[in-house]
Amino acid sequence: MSLVTRNVLIAFIITIAIGGSVVYAVNYLNGLRIKDLGAIQEKLSVDTLSLETQISLLESAPCSIVGTGTDLTSELDDLGQRLSYTENQLGSNDPQVILLKQQYSLLEVRDYLVTNKLAKTCNTKQVTVLYFYSNGSDCTNCDRAGYALSYLHDTYPNIRVYSFDYDLDLGAEKTLLSIEKITGPLPAFVIAGKTSYGFTDLATLEKQFPKGALIATTTATSSTTKK
Amino acid sequence: MMAEWLAYPFIFLGIFFEAFMLVTFISRPARTARDRKAATRTPSVALIIPCYNEEDTVVRSTESVLKVDYPKDKLQIVLVDDGSKDRTRAIMEQYRGHPQIKLIFQENGGKHTALNAGIAATDTEIVGCIDADTTLEPDALRRTLVCFERPKVAAAMSSIFIASPHGILERMQSAEYTMGIFYRHALCSINAMYVTPGPFSLYRRSVLEKIGGFTFGQQTEDMEMALRLQRAGYEIDNMPRARVSTHAMDTLPKLVRQRMRWTSGFMRNVLFDYPDLFSSKYGSLGLLILPFGLVAPIAVIALFALFSYRIVHALVLAYLLRQGVPFTWHLFSLHAAGWFYLPISILSLLTVITCVLGVTLVVVGKRLSNAPTNLVSDTISYLLLYGLVSPIWYFRATADVIIGKRRGWR
Repeated sequence: MSLVTRNVLIAFIITIAIGGSVVYAVNYLNGLRIKDLGAIQEKLSVDTLSLETQISLLESAPCSIVGTGTDLTSELDDLGQRLSYTENQLGSNDPQVILLKQQYSLLEVRDYLVTNKLAKTCNTKQVTVLYFYSNGSDCTNCDRAGYALSYLHDTYPNIRVYSFDYDLDLGAEKTLLSIEKITGPLPAFVIAGKTSYGFTDLATLEKQFPKGALIATTTATSSTTKK
Repeated sequence: MMAEWLAYPFIFLGIFFEAFMLVTFISRPARTARDRKAATRTPSVALIIPCYNEEDTVVRSTESVLKVDYPKDKLQIVLVDDGSKDRTRAIMEQYRGHPQIKLIFQENGGKHTALNAGIAATDTEIVGCIDADTTLEPDALRRTLVCFERPKVAAAMSSIFIASPHGILERMQSAEYTMGIFYRHALCSINAMYVTPGPFSLYRRSVLEKIGGFTFGQQTEDMEMALRLQRAGYEIDNMPRARVSTHAMDTLPKLVRQRMRWTSGFMRNVLFDYPDLFSSKYGSLGLLILPFGLVAPIAVIALFALFSYRIVHALVLAYLLRQGVPFTWHLFSLHAAGWFYLPISILSLLTVITCVLGVTLVVVGKRLSNAPTNLVSDTISYLLLYGLVSPIWYFRATADVIIGKRRGWR
């Protein structure tokens, strides 16, 4: 074998090794991300169950656990951001992403129910927004709507946004859709109980909020906006 | 996502090429070649300095040649004025009567005619060509001459580095030249060199007499000569520890013009004048180096287009998203710090590895030649700038070759 042929072979093996290592490293990192998300979700699941149990136990005075609920929402927010990032990295059709999104949506629904219950009982000034989007081409304004909601959430911390992928095959989400009677085109919003469809601009969206809801405060409450 | 897949073959080829060069560099022929000592034999040498409007540089270049460590009775210097329009001729006149220097004045006919005139005016065993903005280190000649101890060697060259680069553009070129030191050494060790660089190259006169002198060579007479030597079955050698310095282009338009000439000259020479070199008969030159040389401009243009598309696409998307909504960091997914949000993808990692390999080549080039360059600032400039400016000349040169457009030398 000539020197050049030998060097070509060695260089080829090195190149394959580099390429293989890179693919392995990226897959490994993505696996770690999925694991991380799974761990957060498990913890949140326990926390949510704990919160629900606390509310049941303290039927007479559930308002004493409002602080715990805030912590939970903050974690849910972090989870949403991580999941959104992972979805961008791995793609919307990745089976693990879909599974995590389903679990995340369940947590959102439970947090939504707890938040509503606390708001009613304790008279808190939380404004909840249910936001239904789609990653498909049939929802051209979903990206803009998501960004506008992120802006509103960042600016007005008393707004909690729960975003749901309309195409996700999840029983609880379907029930929520039927309860809220969501039938129209996407994006769809349920803002403080009122349903609206489509997104044109921020000002129009802001008009959907009840009077006094859009007040910037320093209270640390949060949620997430995906898509 | 689809566009990303188009980038992978080019990045794969880039990593493969760099790996091949590094493996070649550590192979025995290259190791043996770079350990050679300076020549003890002192053949007669004529060094020709062709000048066209070189009033600012010709004295420095000539003085550096006069100071080389070589027996004076065996070293001739020929200054050829190729019809300069500035004071070059008057400045050259100060050397009239110097025992080692011959002066030739001719009508402007191009660099190759000036070199041929210089060669014709001498009868030494070795002929050297030096650009008028090149400065030789005192031992450069002796060290380079060692290459001619092997009878098949028809041409030899040294390391070239940029003297005192100023500013990011010149420093970028400095890193590029330092990388060139590595490439030349590795390529010569497998006889795959496709250019005998204009700044300083030596030739065996007997070979030049056989194959003929310099030609126009698609405005790159040094490439044409090297390819002709390869076709004739000779070897081109290199001594990396022999050093000469040259000057970088100080403005982007000048640099683009120079590189367009080099790139289009290479393409035209290998495609139109020497297509027969793409053959196993010419070993790694024909099967690897020349094909890679042709793919490189396409790869640079394609990768630049891909990265530009990604950046522009992201900006347009951000603009459309932002319409009518004030700014929030959600726009760039910059939610939080931490390993989770590290933007690591196959493409980004491969790009980083390609850059690391490129930097390695610069470091090796520096160590190989011990050239007095600033590795840190040169490398940073190279990484920041090269990917942005090189597509300009690669694109324009490729377009020129395709549409058959010819441009002037300067």
